[in-house]
Amino acid sequence: MSIPKQPIQQRILKYTITALIVVGSIWSASGLEITLEKILKAPEQIAILVGAMFPLDLSAEAIERILPKVAESLFIAWAGTVIGALFSFPIAFLAANNVAVNYISETTKQILNGIRAFPELILAFVFLPITGLGALTGTLAIGIHSIGTLGKLSSEVIEGIDEGPLEAIKSSGGSKINELLFGVVPQVMPTITSYWLYRFEINLRASAVLGVVGAGGVGAELINQLRFRDFPRAGTVLVATVVLVLTVDTISAAIRRRIIKGRSVKV
Amino acid sequence: MIKFENVGVVYPGGVKALDNINLEINEGDFVIIVGLSGAGKSTLLRSINNLVKPTDGNVTVDGNNVTNASKKELKQIRSDIGMIFQTFNLVNRSNVLKNVLTGRLSQVSTIRSITGLWPKEDKQIAFDALQRVEILEKAYVRGSNLSGGQQQRVGIARALAQKPKVMLADEPVASLDPVTSRVVMSYLKKINQELGITTIVNLHFLDLAKEFGTRLIGLREGNLVYDGNVDDVSDADFENIYGRSIKSSDLIGDDD
Amino acid sequence: MINLPKKPPPSLMVFLGIPSALLFSYYCFLKVGFNLSDFKENLENRYLVTDPLFNPKWSWAIENASEALVETIQIAILASIVGCFVALPLSFYASQTTNQNKVSYFLYKSFLNLVRTIPDLFWAMMFTVAVGLGPFAGVLALVMFSLAIMGKLLSETIDSIDPGPLEAAKSSGASHNQSVFTSALPQVLPNFTAYFLYIFELCIRASVILGLVGAGGVGRIIETQRIFLRFDRISPIIVLILLVVILIEQFSVWLRRRIL
Repeated sequence: MSIPKQPIQQRILKYTITALIVVGSIWSASGLEITLEKILKAPEQIAILVGAMFPLDLSAEAIERILPKVAESLFIAWAGTVIGALFSFPIAFLAANNVAVNYISETTKQILNGIRAFPELILAFVFLPITGLGALTGTLAIGIHSIGTLGKLSSEVIEGIDEGPLEAIKSSGGSKINELLFGVVPQVMPTITSYWLYRFEINLRASAVLGVVGAGGVGAELINQLRFRDFPRAGTVLVATVVLVLTVDTISAAIRRRIIKGRSVKV
Repeated sequence: MIKFENVGVVYPGGVKALDNINLEINEGDFVIIVGLSGAGKSTLLRSINNLVKPTDGNVTVDGNNVTNASKKELKQIRSDIGMIFQTFNLVNRSNVLKNVLTGRLSQVSTIRSITGLWPKEDKQIAFDALQRVEILEKAYVRGSNLSGGQQQRVGIARALAQKPKVMLADEPVASLDPVTSRVVMSYLKKINQELGITTIVNLHFLDLAKEFGTRLIGLREGNLVYDGNVDDVSDADFENIYGRSIKSSDLIGDDD
Repeated sequence: MINLPKKPPPSLMVFLGIPSALLFSYYCFLKVGFNLSDFKENLENRYLVTDPLFNPKWSWAIENASEALVETIQIAILASIVGCFVALPLSFYASQTTNQNKVSYFLYKSFLNLVRTIPDLFWAMMFTVAVGLGPFAGVLALVMFSLAIMGKLLSETIDSIDPGPLEAAKSSGASHNQSVFTSALPQVLPNFTAYFLYIFELCIRASVILGLVGAGGVGRIIETQRIFLRFDRISPIIVLILLVVILIEQFSVWLRRRIL
């Protein structure tokens, strides 16, 4: 029996995708003037920088300057997440097409998309002239961006619930509010709360960065140290940031796991 | 061909899966192993290609000590042993041909297998294997688009593509209906008879064992309790192997 | 008298967690200087921003920012491709399904976690110092960014694949790499594609900001304009980027439907 040949369509898709990737990379690399020479030199240059950072500057002066800024990033991230969680929760109901009327939910979704679209830094730019330099601007930027993302995610959770319990409440004479409170909220709270915590983890990184434009946090420290070529101190800032983020990530991940798993009660 | 010398397997946690097994299987044998779930059938099979390493004793295949083989030796030994699984273990997203070609991996350089530039001889071996289980026309069909019986035939083809000396089948028909099960078992039997490949099959359907086996081995709680010709087996022997009377779930029956 | 079962006490987490979370929140708002009356006063200045913001100067943007916009997109394309493809093998080492060596698994997983903790702009700052100002630093920064995200997502996906085909390949004598390539990789390819498109979109957004620290792209223009409160020039740039992001989102939805 003759050996069958591979159908054409499968191969075309494979080759097109490969071509796209190769062409895209080459076009980008040449447009950005990234030569092989630059690539080969890079590891050495990076090693020089890393070497210059050690030993870290752990003097009292450095710690005095850096620690408060690191803490400030934490506060900004938390406050921003709280704003995000607080406002996104009711908005999410408006955006869910199984709770709100279709045209309201569509509009709300588009508004949320609009808010989400702006990176926190751009929002920080917008707020800077209004609220000035400092932590408040960062908090507002992060808070409002979080409303957008959390709003969208929460509305998706709400849309994915089991309608059964709602029907049960309705059939026993419960009002729409009862339905929401006793049917929807208990179902969605674990997932939504875990989203809040995950957002906190991400916001922590965002708040570290916002300092670069003066919106509070440790970013300003890092860029200053780098500008003044004080590499050991810059290294300290980096390590401090990493430690903070790792700690928060670990704790938050543990709490999130616990929330999703639910508590085991001895019966 | 295959020799078990005082083989014992104790899993971490203390479970004794195999206890002092001494067994010799000759080249060209078609052996069927029966026993309850947990009797050690799977463990016995997997100790032949060292997917499970015995804690006592050793297993020899074709003169090579499998249990104490080095990594390199083990790869060589394994390439001569084909295995088919209850859950077929096909790569669902890949097509049939790619799945069968994975049987040739041990003989082909990594670069060639990654880029898909298989040598012509290996492709031919794969096609021949597919031909033998009569599924060549499905060569470019995705694994997941095949029925259970077809998937198992691809599994057999994959093992055949290794050009093995030994064929291990771990409950190959447990997920298949009676008709398809008999089709798969007859392919295994045919391959054993036409190519002389030593074949060992785990089954828990007793009537199927009597229908297709030549030599029967019974395991109970990790111990070898029966070893003899299939024609000599009586219901009483089965009850001894199982430690209880035969139930209808132990028989595959016919198509209703 | 009915004997009611004893009500389980509130879990420690809820009992301690919620009040401390509330207290902490109050503290945070205090420390960031949240003051309602001040805030109201500040809001009166909003016209400084909103007036120019809603008055986009398209022609200026197209004339002066097009090149930088293209640069921004190129950075995103290159970085996401390189980052994601480098992350591919790393992810297999960072999953216990495909890496049985406990030490090596731990090292790879920790490496990915570590890279994830550093924000993209921090990478950009460091790379501008190491390799100089310009888009090369930006690409390197986003490569780390993409690598980290793809590494985490993909390794978690690999954790939950079917190990059966891997066992089959190993039992036939195939080498470890061959087994992973033929029997594990195909299982995660759809996920890889979906994650890649997601990361590509993230990279475009992130790439907008790189210029702030001199790592290429349209960020530099945004920074200089913002200092002069020229939001009328910034808003069209942002809108253009958003259009690109929306296009990519549509394309990825289309592509995912084709592939699945």
